[in-house]
Amino acid sequence: MTPIVPIAVTGMGAISAIGNNVTENFRSLVDSKHGIAPIRQLDTWHRERLLAGEIHMDNAELYDRLQLSREAAYTRSTLLALMATKEAIETAAFKPGDGYRTGLISATTVGGMDATERYYDDYLVSEKNRSFIQTHPCGYAAEQMGKYFGVSDFITTISTACSSAANAIMLGARMIRAGQLDRAIVGGTDCLSRFTINGFNSLMIYTDGHCKPFDENRNGLNLGEAAAYLVLEAPEVARKRMKSPIAYLTGYGNANDAFHQTASSDNGEGAYLAMRRALEVSGLNPRDIDYVNAHGTATPNNDLAEGNALLRIYGSASAIPPFSSTKAFTGHTLAAAGAIEAVFSILALQHQVVFPNLNFSQPIASLGIVPQTALTEQRIDHVLSNSFGFGGNCSTLLFSKDHD
Amino acid sequence: MTKPIYIHGSGCVSVQPTFEAGYFFDHVTSYTQNPVPALDPDYKAFIPALQLRRMNKSMRMAIFASRMAMQQAGITTVDAIITGSGLGCLRDSERFVEALRTDEGSLLNPTPFIQSTHNMAAAALALSLGCKGYNMTYVNNANSFESALLDAMIYLTEHPAATILLGGVDELGERTTQFWDLANYLKRDDATIPTPLIEQATPGEIATEGATFFVASQEPGDHTFGKIRAVETRLEVDAPEIFISGFLQRNGIEAETLDAVVLGYNGDSRYDEIYRTLGSSLFANLPQIAFKHVVGEYDTVVAAALFLALGIFQRQHVPQRLLLNHSSIPPILRRILIYTQRRGQNHSVILVEK
Repeated sequence: MTPIVPIAVTGMGAISAIGNNVTENFRSLVDSKHGIAPIRQLDTWHRERLLAGEIHMDNAELYDRLQLSREAAYTRSTLLALMATKEAIETAAFKPGDGYRTGLISATTVGGMDATERYYDDYLVSEKNRSFIQTHPCGYAAEQMGKYFGVSDFITTISTACSSAANAIMLGARMIRAGQLDRAIVGGTDCLSRFTINGFNSLMIYTDGHCKPFDENRNGLNLGEAAAYLVLEAPEVARKRMKSPIAYLTGYGNANDAFHQTASSDNGEGAYLAMRRALEVSGLNPRDIDYVNAHGTATPNNDLAEGNALLRIYGSASAIPPFSSTKAFTGHTLAAAGAIEAVFSILALQHQVVFPNLNFSQPIASLGIVPQTALTEQRIDHVLSNSFGFGGNCSTLLFSKDHD
Repeated sequence: MTKPIYIHGSGCVSVQPTFEAGYFFDHVTSYTQNPVPALDPDYKAFIPALQLRRMNKSMRMAIFASRMAMQQAGITTVDAIITGSGLGCLRDSERFVEALRTDEGSLLNPTPFIQSTHNMAAAALALSLGCKGYNMTYVNNANSFESALLDAMIYLTEHPAATILLGGVDELGERTTQFWDLANYLKRDDATIPTPLIEQATPGEIATEGATFFVASQEPGDHTFGKIRAVETRLEVDAPEIFISGFLQRNGIEAETLDAVVLGYNGDSRYDEIYRTLGSSLFANLPQIAFKHVVGEYDTVVAAALFLALGIFQRQHVPQRLLLNHSSIPPILRRILIYTQRRGQNHSVILVEK
């Protein structure tokens, strides 16, 4: 396969438990300051009991910051998405409607479920909150975002569980490459909801403390909420606008594990195929990768599968480049994970640092692979970022500093 | 740019017996209710009983429709699975919300949660076919199938040798239907299928469900039904006529060279005017075909319109019950435009050729 024309990344925005913008997120990563704490805001039985990565702004504050009318119905996932997208558009320094065909590709699994679960019985008896009925479908957030920012050439939403945002980023690149768009705002958003909190609880997939990605004694994940968006552009569009890209998206791969509804195959077949396809698209060799931002949820199953997939790509533990999972900082942010970690991957390229994998002490005995545990400055030209989800959906993105 | 994609097989589960051999809308099952659940084909023909018991309706309908399509195309494997679903697996979502509202804190049954995720139909297909290829699910309201179709066209341009499954699926949920009713989306009185259109239309939609899947590739084959040349969507348009003429222009086509149009009339008097205006202007001299009045309304129902258009090519026959005007039908039908919208939003056009 001929390597693709790299796609320019010209802007990014992020909001997560470790910061309300990209700079704050970076500062927390550098300072090893995680955002995992007992749930304080969400009205759930698990409040004050369960550890999660909650964003320290309530919906009222988000409405105000976005200058939205309190009369209008916006759910939390949409509010977070608007915050992150605003920053992405500002850093990319363009105005929608500037003549370039601009699309919006968003990802979510929660959609408006936080409103639906709150008003499930209330809707039937009271008119008060019925304006939120329309917010339920996952596609609604992107449509509201499109209207808010004036992006109308193309709008869609992807939902492939925890690989959703990676797939949104991938589609943006492919549409630009196929000549369908000049520019795409791509990313994902998921707020915490009782639905997902209880869902993952029913799977008995939570750790009782802080998650320990890639540790022999890892025993589950922390959930988190986040939104992150990138602005992708055809390189000639960025050039014409005299906007220098902050990074390039050089590869992407999507595969299905086709093994089980929720569990990953032990040999990490889907993960392996996604990484291999991303490398093929970029024309790079595994040894060209300087840092792997792993999916690393800290469940026994994921980290074993992903570790095995890395071993299959690299042949031996010593050949695997520095890698870390940043889930211990943010929690697992589901549909937003691929986007928030894309932002972290680009930060790694920009600042030439590998972010630490927190809470690690003992390598997984059967794998013998050791993640990076301290902030490390090093040369980074290419970063691989993994996102895997239920339903066997596996996706890998490859970001590069320069495209040649 | 993307190239046309050829369709080699299709399967459709709906409120009509579209899954029966030889059926082509010449007789139409009537209903006087809202919502209307899809007819159940003999799922066991394609799904082992043990697996079937655990599957929700989206998964069942999607697997059945895609196996039909694959059987028709004479294939047993595909390279990629690309789907759309406006609302995902609604019944399991509702079941899980109801469980957590009463028993939060205790250990809930995880199955409805696992099967609630929107990608579960595409995942079930991958699992049942052992397909490790590209796998995608679009959840773009009433343009979910169109996003899947666009992706399919891009995917096949990137992978010219591949054969893929492309489809849309949506199921009804009991509480969600109540919500849509409270939001005034649904018809309350005189809810009938076939739904009276135009002068007889009343406010509201008839909520239904269904799954339609296709086998597609970039090469014509022995069983090819036709090809899809282009698809475009817009959340909102100022004037549908300008959007559609722009689409035709971008594809180098005059409206007069279309042999028929399939329009999304659903008998909702608040929005059917959009089609009526087009029917007396841009499409005035063309045979106009409706489909939602017999299959109802759901987010991915446009896939059933594509199923219909391909069937028209294959049979060279327009079912009388679906024809809206008396415009003479060309002796050879080889180019059809599908245009739909929902509640004034999610406009889409699909250009299909024999």
